[in-house]
Amino acid sequence: VRRVRIESLGASLPAWWRPWHGSVAHAATAGRRCLAASRHRGADVGVLVSAGIHRDGHVAEPAIAAYIQHRLGINVEFQGRPTLSFDLLNGGCGMLNAAQVVGAMLLAGEVEAGMVIAGEANGDRRPDPSSAVPRSGAALLLDLAPRAETGFGAFAFRTHEQDAGLFTAVVSLAEPRGRLLIRRDARLEEAWLAQAAETVDAALAQEGLTRAGVDVVVPSQISPGFLARLPAAISIPAEKIADFSPDLPDTGSTSVFLAWHRLLATRPPATGARVLFLAFGSGLTVGAAVYTL
Amino acid sequence: VTADRPGAAGATKVRIESLGVCLPEKVLTTEELMSRCRHRPRLDLEGITGIRERRVAVGEHALDLAVRAAERALALSRYRAHDLDAVICTSISKHHRPDEFTFEPATAVLVRRALGARNALVFDVVNACAGMLNGLLVLRALIRTGAARSGMVVSGEQNLPLAEAATREVRHSLDRQLAALTLGDAGAALIVDVSDDERHGIHHLELVTGAKHDHYCRSLPSPRGRGGILLTKARGLQRKGAEHFPAYLKRALDATGWSLDDLQHVIPHQVSVRAIRQGVKALGRYLGVDPPEIFRCCADRFGNTTTTSHFVALHDLMLQGDAQPDDNILLVSGASGIVIAHATLTLDDLPERYRARWGGAGAS
Repeated sequence: VRRVRIESLGASLPAWWRPWHGSVAHAATAGRRCLAASRHRGADVGVLVSAGIHRDGHVAEPAIAAYIQHRLGINVEFQGRPTLSFDLLNGGCGMLNAAQVVGAMLLAGEVEAGMVIAGEANGDRRPDPSSAVPRSGAALLLDLAPRAETGFGAFAFRTHEQDAGLFTAVVSLAEPRGRLLIRRDARLEEAWLAQAAETVDAALAQEGLTRAGVDVVVPSQISPGFLARLPAAISIPAEKIADFSPDLPDTGSTSVFLAWHRLLATRPPATGARVLFLAFGSGLTVGAAVYTL
Repeated sequence: VTADRPGAAGATKVRIESLGVCLPEKVLTTEELMSRCRHRPRLDLEGITGIRERRVAVGEHALDLAVRAAERALALSRYRAHDLDAVICTSISKHHRPDEFTFEPATAVLVRRALGARNALVFDVVNACAGMLNGLLVLRALIRTGAARSGMVVSGEQNLPLAEAATREVRHSLDRQLAALTLGDAGAALIVDVSDDERHGIHHLELVTGAKHDHYCRSLPSPRGRGGILLTKARGLQRKGAEHFPAYLKRALDATGWSLDDLQHVIPHQVSVRAIRQGVKALGRYLGVDPPEIFRCCADRFGNTTTTSHFVALHDLMLQGDAQPDDNILLVSGASGIVIAHATLTLDDLPERYRARWGGAGAS
């Protein structure tokens, strides 16, 4: 069975020499690094999906992905090879959703390589104090794995829409240029933890895997307190959970793959290791994906 | 069903199993909208665009239009809400409350909650006016690889706030906000599953982004006051579109094995009556023939309903009795980005089912 793998990974973290990098700039930086490390050329990318939630200037159209495509210089003209760019929005789970969608397009033979990119930043001139968004970007280049059994396996998403009100992000149009307002309820982390186990169960069951077979869990870096309670909530020991929360803030949609980037740089798992990506997003949705290295 | 190799899953054909369209009852004429302008531009917008009137939502929001359309699609479908494996929402206007744009949670979550589609994978796809065709592409990939068996692509567009901002801010007859005065409100929903007959379904679906042209049409909060605005370089957008879409249209027909004569209807993106006429001319120049009279237009009555416009037109064709079972249809879309999209499809008995259900009083 062919699988879809992460062929290359790029990350962009805030840097003091470019403090005003917006979400598109961060996404493009991550994308450039991702392409530089890839064996594919930009022109091979048939589909580019942007999963970032917060948009520079709160632009509703065109797709932010078109801006990123333009900056990366991927098939920007209509003549030549075609690239489709679009946005996929699903809060903190967006990149996992996009990986599943791009993976499906690869498996169906519609494209030969695809990118999933996200950039996050609160672009307001005077941001609402409680609506800070740490600036970051992350990019994945996906293609069909040359070796069998390597790459993404099962995806599982569980949504508890009755809790949708616990986490909202709206742009108020009542004032000029709009203003981003993010509201997190105090019960948010509790609600996420309560639905985590069921999502993990679903992904592992689809994959035919037990909890003991999981070598490492890469979760969204919600908060130190959240990650301290996660092992008990999903019944997986703490030493298997990648916790960088002390110095890696919750960056929203990019969080899981920034943590994965950090893990690969610090203590990379061995080939053949089973990784469980675990994303927590608004909705409330928890997403899980099994990945074999 | 997991694909063993590329191409195996690629062969699966999907179809539009059901369609639901929601057009608000209130009619707003172009004349009335123009008369609301603080600085009425000295131009005959109705004469230029051919848009006489549009529907506008009163007391309801984009989300309500999406949900009403979704309910109509379910009413005609063999699936119930909890059978759907995916709900993909493709609205641009994420107005769920006045003067507010919601980015989290995803609109699809709220549609799922309203419908009770408790088993559906949910996320939003945003790609300007090509949104619904883009959603269809995404859903097709999920169905082809077995991640879903059936699903819904739904969109609710409430564009009146953009038009109202334009009435406040338009200054002259070359203003970039004029295009916002051509918009209308509507909701549309498709239910998609695997086609049980090789003849019926979506044969070819291709979208391409020419990101070099991403500056022609933008929608963002107004820098001057309340609300969102739409800024369009209409002439440039149309010129670029006309320059590039005919080649992709020809490719879509070739890939399907059709010529223009095999088609019963071509449904272009309903930008305006005039834009469609000019598109047909550009196509004629490219192909070196006079295109047949199969280009359908309902922009005169509904305006530009952005993502939903193809399916509002299909709804209109079916109710007018123009669309019949087994009709071959080409959908053409040009959207901000610039995105060029083409889809070829053959209808099953949907037009008959549609007329039987909505042909009487429920026509709007």
